[in-house]
Amino acid sequence: MGGLPEMVLTGLLLWTAVQAPVSADQNRTELLFVRRIAPLLAAKCLPCHGSDRREGGLDLRTQQSATAGGDSGLPLMLPADVEQSPLLLAVLRQSSDWSAMPPNEGDRLTEQQVGWVRAWLAGGAAWPSADRQREIAMTHAAAWNAEDGVQVATSGGLSADWTARRYVPESLWALQPVRRPVLQDSSEHPIDRLLTLHCPPELPSAAATDVCTFLRRATYDLTGLPPAPEEADEFVAACGGADSIALESDRGRVAISGLIERLLSSPHYGERMAQHWLDVVRYADSSGFANDYERGNAWRYRDYVVRAFNSDKPWNQFVMEQLAGDELDPGNAENLIAAGFLRMGPWELTGMEVEKVARQRFLDDVVNSVGESFLSQSLQCARCHDHKFDPVPTRDYYSIQAVFATTQISERAAPFLPVERTADFEERQLLEERQAEYVQVLQTLDELLLRNAVQWYQQRGQDAGLWLSVVAEVRQDGQVQSGRVGAASRKSADVYSRVRKLMGERGVPEDQYPPKLVGFTPAEFGLERVARKGLERLKWEFDRYEPFALSVYSGATREFRTVNAPVRLPVDPLSPGAVEETCILTGGDPFAAGERVRPGVLSAVSRGADAAISEAVFGRRLAFARWVASADNPLTTRSIVNRLWGWHFGRAIAANPNNFGSTGGRPVHPELLDWLAAELVDSGWSVKSLHRQIMSSRAYRRSSRPADAGLVARLDPELRYLSCFPARRLTAEELRDSMLSVSGELNLQVGGIPNRPELHAEVALQPRQVMGSFAAAWVPNPLPAQRHRRSLYALRLRGLPDPSLEVFNLPTPDFSCERRDSSTVTPQVFVQFNSQNSWSRSLAMASRVLRETTTEEAAMDRCFRLVFGRPAAAAELRLCLQHWHEQVAVQGEAVFSTAVAPQEVIRDAVEENTGERFQFTEKLYGMDRFVPDLRAEDCDARTRALADVCLVLLNSNEFVYVQ
Amino acid sequence: MSDVGSSCAVGRRQVVWSTAGLLTSLASSALLSAEDSVVGGMPGGPHFGNARAKNVIFLMMEGGPSHLDTFDPKPELSRRHLQQFVRSGREKSAMEAGQRYYVRSPFRFRRVGQSGADMSENWRYLAGVADELCFFRGCTVDSVNHPTAMYQMNCGNRFGGDPGLGAWICYGLGSLNQNLPGFIVLPEVSYPQGGAANWGNGFLPPQYQGTPLRARGSAIPDLHPPRGVTRLEQRKNLDLLARLNQEHADRNPGNSELQARMAGYELAFRMQAEVPELLDLSGETRQVLAQYGVGEQPTDAFGRKCLVARRLVEQGVRFVQLYSGSWDSHDYIERAHGNLIEATDRPIAGLIADLRQRGLLDSTLVVWCGEFGRTPDNGVRQGTAYGRDHNPNAMTIWLAGGGCRAGSTIGATDELGMEAVECRAHVRDLHVTLLRLLGLDDSRLTYYHAGRYKQLSQFGGKVIEPLLG
Repeated sequence: MGGLPEMVLTGLLLWTAVQAPVSADQNRTELLFVRRIAPLLAAKCLPCHGSDRREGGLDLRTQQSATAGGDSGLPLMLPADVEQSPLLLAVLRQSSDWSAMPPNEGDRLTEQQVGWVRAWLAGGAAWPSADRQREIAMTHAAAWNAEDGVQVATSGGLSADWTARRYVPESLWALQPVRRPVLQDSSEHPIDRLLTLHCPPELPSAAATDVCTFLRRATYDLTGLPPAPEEADEFVAACGGADSIALESDRGRVAISGLIERLLSSPHYGERMAQHWLDVVRYADSSGFANDYERGNAWRYRDYVVRAFNSDKPWNQFVMEQLAGDELDPGNAENLIAAGFLRMGPWELTGMEVEKVARQRFLDDVVNSVGESFLSQSLQCARCHDHKFDPVPTRDYYSIQAVFATTQISERAAPFLPVERTADFEERQLLEERQAEYVQVLQTLDELLLRNAVQWYQQRGQDAGLWLSVVAEVRQDGQVQSGRVGAASRKSADVYSRVRKLMGERGVPEDQYPPKLVGFTPAEFGLERVARKGLERLKWEFDRYEPFALSVYSGATREFRTVNAPVRLPVDPLSPGAVEETCILTGGDPFAAGERVRPGVLSAVSRGADAAISEAVFGRRLAFARWVASADNPLTTRSIVNRLWGWHFGRAIAANPNNFGSTGGRPVHPELLDWLAAELVDSGWSVKSLHRQIMSSRAYRRSSRPADAGLVARLDPELRYLSCFPARRLTAEELRDSMLSVSGELNLQVGGIPNRPELHAEVALQPRQVMGSFAAAWVPNPLPAQRHRRSLYALRLRGLPDPSLEVFNLPTPDFSCERRDSSTVTPQVFVQFNSQNSWSRSLAMASRVLRETTTEEAAMDRCFRLVFGRPAAAAELRLCLQHWHEQVAVQGEAVFSTAVAPQEVIRDAVEENTGERFQFTEKLYGMDRFVPDLRAEDCDARTRALADVCLVLLNSNEFVYVQ
Repeated sequence: MSDVGSSCAVGRRQVVWSTAGLLTSLASSALLSAEDSVVGGMPGGPHFGNARAKNVIFLMMEGGPSHLDTFDPKPELSRRHLQQFVRSGREKSAMEAGQRYYVRSPFRFRRVGQSGADMSENWRYLAGVADELCFFRGCTVDSVNHPTAMYQMNCGNRFGGDPGLGAWICYGLGSLNQNLPGFIVLPEVSYPQGGAANWGNGFLPPQYQGTPLRARGSAIPDLHPPRGVTRLEQRKNLDLLARLNQEHADRNPGNSELQARMAGYELAFRMQAEVPELLDLSGETRQVLAQYGVGEQPTDAFGRKCLVARRLVEQGVRFVQLYSGSWDSHDYIERAHGNLIEATDRPIAGLIADLRQRGLLDSTLVVWCGEFGRTPDNGVRQGTAYGRDHNPNAMTIWLAGGGCRAGSTIGATDELGMEAVECRAHVRDLHVTLLRLLGLDDSRLTYYHAGRYKQLSQFGGKVIEPLLG
């Protein structure tokens, strides 16, 4: 313990005095020590005051060393003056003399634990010998088990103490087998029945909501889109009315059932569910970090997920394909694409990183991602030490890692499937134009270098004869080559460096021929680098149109210096390279290999039975996948049904869908969770059947207005009991998609290569640093229909998130997102109320509505029906019509100037080699074909004034919230 | 809408950049509490009562400035200049391994100030405030790659996604001016490697996110509506929105989120007028502008940032981070570093002198650093002019003001400047020390996320005591 102040010496004397008599108290204190104090010391103190570390000179491993104290020389325990005992003062964290211990606030002792320390001190601070401790532990094992919780059989911790530790049974809920609750009363929906089990009886349930609100809720939940006015008309007619009574009527029930079927069979259902799943797996179209290279084929995995949900692919199959599709059937491209799951984390290997460290990062990423995504068990806590709270030993962590030790990254061949959308590939031409420009720049600079070289000889008064002859030789060779492979070959752009290389090879000393990049100005240095790196980046982007899958294979680990181009499947997966052996890495350090481990599973779940997986190079993952996707694996089934519940109600049954461990929220309705898990398996792992169950419950039909707001605020402030439906803010993507939908601009095409919507103009052209260069600017697709696809399809670059989505809590793809946040911050107003995007949507919507209606009243009513899914009330109609009229006058005075879309951007940069500023012009390929959205100057004042109303509606709370 | 403030006492606290809206003018409108009171932060105030620093100006030299060519002279390198050797091993990256040669500094060094601090000769202005500086030569980091090293220096975690230092400090100390974001970033036109995640809020609530004021174009995108939209048109739209929202709120009583969203629109409307004033330097005297090198080349760009930083700190912004890019001099260290020093020397010296003159230096901690140092040797890059590679094991950072030990040089590197050998400390210890200077205890400044209490230092660190004044 730090601090080390002046302390009372009398304590020491008193301490000695109480050593003598052995009493019943002494015995009780000994038991307390063995049962509580020793484990507490081991967990909280010994890491810093034990074996290899002795902070403050203090060693707490033995009574003798603890009594001797630390650098202060004062004993920690003062049984005669318990409240002044340094040990107690430190753990109470209030003393000015003794530092708070343990130092980390998160490790602070609970009140109960502090109570044990007090009682132990008061009882004389007994510290039995090691033998005596063992004897006490054995004698009392049975009794303590019953009282203190249970042990869990695992593959074993790094220490015997950890292996023998006890768990509060409730904290192990997720590891228990799923038990389907027995339901007596068949008239009530099982879900409603199970929800009442833990609901406070005095909490009244809200009435059913109205028909239009229900339609909006269900449509957003299953498609992420607003219902069309016509769909509302149909649904109201089917229910036989618009109020809650109609919804609850027999006709209403039939209508609801029909509605659910219609929505589940919509192709947009899969898009909505894919969005949820991609949040979990951290989908992005680029690799992150320094290069943020594009993952040209990632879109095929995204579409695979959409297809899986749309076809109601059995969940166990979905799991297996993502974990081991390539081992399941490498002949089926769909399976290779599915294994892209294992590639979703950010990863790169540059020449600046140690390869082994980068490989370890990949393995760590995969292990944790598998745990979080499918098992709702964060595994990374066990990377450096046995899990502090859950029965996950470090051995398990590395056993699971051994499953992936033969997993190798590859962008491997996978023919396009008939179901895949391969349209729009002609946009490839834009990349080819950019490629040609880079090659041209390099050729020009190459010629320049060759001229500079001659000057270099002249300046030194040396003869350039040998140099020139080698130049001629290389040129001759280049012509032969370029005749073979085409004019745009890189070869023709590196004559200079090849000449230098040859000079060196022919024994010319390096100072006798011109240096690399001779005579370059800062601008030329910069241009060379931009072109060279640009070509490197294009290799990844061209992959978008090629039949390759972002995937993996099983084989030996190859050695890479860097990975700066897509990695193709090697001819022999076992050579070159070596098959990795997995060891426990001490402290998680890749260079501190400890004990070897075999491939295995989470031992607390398998209970040791089927923990071993063959060590063959091929098939480890498949065996592991079968274990994950087994109907008996209680984590897997609970994990997905828990998520699904959260996707409907905004809060999952167990509050942390990525963490069923003891630090995650425990299920509020455990029986319901198990019922859903059992239903999933019984329905043949059908996710759609679960939607049907959930959405046909009374809970799902409730109004978001509480029956008694005061009682709800008191008894259920977080709406865990769902006595009313939790209103939610639209997600970032739903907001954008909905605005495009109501403006009539949304392109509902499903799947295909990513599109590029317009970003905020300044953000799009913002220079983006990547390793040694700039990434190409964000250039939107030329045509409005290409740009106005659902947000799911927008190119997702880790290094360039769309700020207008980010501000509405778009999660970063660096971490798995188990639940979307919905915070309210001021910058959202700028995006929603001020941005060009919002104005463009409003204008398009006004124009659309004017086209579709004949009277002003009808136009205004249609605006309401489009945005809110309900007709306008008379007062609202009056108010908005009046606003429209008034704004016509304001609009009449407005002047608009046509903003011409830029064709190029001039970049100011600091050149890395010289620190000098330089400029270059980046051509924006495709902008010459750019067709803008409807613009203010193309509309009359009346349309623009109606757009003012539309903008207001699109900013209103009623639009932004689903109730 | 005039009564919106009084009708939404609950919602107001959520509509935030900090913990309530934005503008200086709002402070007098009785909507918000007085400017000098602190809102938010650790309950009971900072952990340590004796801290002097209240604000931070963090000068981030992105790319990895060379300690060997700025503040840590190595005469031995001159002797070994161009000597070749080979480095290998599995623990070495491709960049570190292979044929290497030593590189001497192209700059001459001298000792400056009463304290006799080492500085290369090109720091002409900084020498004048040398006695305010506290050099630290013991800092080490884990990564040799830019974005990961940047993340570690800025957020504590190499792999990104964690809250930035400024976010933690705002979370710990609360807001001095609720009308402005507590964490403001003045980036280069091009964002650093790793992008905006360098100033993210991570798992902390979004009001702690760093707000970049962009170096070109609009400081904050969409602060204003598109051209052609008049303030009158916008005002009338806001009024209609308020009415529709009020009716909706009446139908859905007790939902504070709805109220919060409504208040946000009014605050945003007023900000449109106020933010540009903050960035307008026309009210500064000619003498002050000259002190920062504003209006002259090559100091104008960074000089403006330094001056804006002072203005923001005067307004109570907790943490201002300034970026100077392109210190990654693998080649031509003489030209590259020479130019960068020239562009930043006068602005930085001007900032420190100005803060001192205004009595702000004591309460403002100034930090100068990069994401790592540079090597005494270089790879054979087909030889032109000499540069240096990345070095995670040695770097120089310096502090000024805020209760640091001014006029001192702490720690030392080996005779070649390859490794820190004296007072060696990991960057996590530097973070703990910076927090300590602000009165915050890293081990108590925690936030529960993903199953555990997280902290800036990741797993705890130690205060580097010699850096404290």
